[in-house]
Amino acid sequence: MIRIAAVGDVHVDKDVLGRFRPALEELPDRADALLIAGDLTRHGTVDEARSFVTEFGGLGVPVVVVLGNHDHQSDQQARVSDVLTDSGMTVLEGDATVLELNGHRLGIAGVKGFGGGFAGACASNFGEREMKEFVGTTEVIAARLEQALNSVQCDALVALTHYAPVPDTLLGEPLEIYAFLGCYQLGRAIDSAPTALALHGHAHHGSERGRTPGGVPVRNVAHPVIKQAYNIYQLLSETVDTELVTT
Amino acid sequence: MSTQLDEYLEAEIQSLLTDGRIAELGITVNRREHLLVLGGEVESPLRRDEICRQINQRFPDVQIVCDIGIIRASAPSEVEEIS
Ligand SMILES: [Fe+2]
Ligand SMILES: [Fe+2]
Repeated sequence: MIRIAAVGDVHVDKDVLGRFRPALEELPDRADALLIAGDLTRHGTVDEARSFVTEFGGLGVPVVVVLGNHDHQSDQQARVSDVLTDSGMTVLEGDATVLELNGHRLGIAGVKGFGGGFAGACASNFGEREMKEFVGTTEVIAARLEQALNSVQCDALVALTHYAPVPDTLLGEPLEIYAFLGCYQLGRAIDSAPTALALHGHAHHGSERGRTPGGVPVRNVAHPVIKQAYNIYQLLSETVDTELVTT
Repeated sequence: MSTQLDEYLEAEIQSLLTDGRIAELGITVNRREHLLVLGGEVESPLRRDEICRQINQRFPDVQIVCDIGIIRASAPSEVEEIS
């Protein structure tokens, strides 16, 4: 059994310091790792990244994150990543990591992701250069997630993104902005691998649960959606017994 | 001339919320007959107060009520089993 804690969109700046800490101090008793689905900071500055590390670092469990659009706002995402990495966190951007937890291998592949929309209401790679660049970005990022997901050997595989891979978890957002909140290409990447769980954020007014077309459970862990410091998900619940039952 | 409570005002408020310091994309602006209702949730009381202060300052003749909440950050009491 593996238990992972997850949250996104914590938008840390100095004014947030101390708000999450009491709940985070309890985290190691409740979960084996913490995954954070982007928008770690408010404007993506190095100072804010340091505040984020002060609030979410030094927990005694591995912390794996992807960046969000807010973390790109000041064009300092590389330096933000360095601050996080130097503190011992793992920052995923089109790559994967494996954590050894309770004798199991948890694989996590992550990208920020991008917009583009969903089946029947999505942008196409056609027309003006700006439009092709937009959709081209979506496609490149999704391809990197697909590659990362298929690159790991593990017992349980989790996809971590900021943007949403399905429209299900956007319910509550205005339909008009779905195309800026996620894209179907991320869902297709998730379905290309034996993914056990997909976590994302970004949709502050969205809803918690959905599934990809291929049946992978999707959870929107944006802080305004889950309304608590983090959610906890249990994977690999004593699989041996269920195997015996089904044969 | 007094400020019209119209879609352009809403758009102007949204760009005020995303430009510069505030950086909040999740604030809702609802027009009532004579007032604007701000909604959504942010990470700290300081942030909420700053949003209301800036909007009041920019549109002094518009009546604004602030229903913006602060997101709770307590530890969860449940575990969800994924299968
Ligand atoms: Fe966010
Ligand atoms: Fe975001």
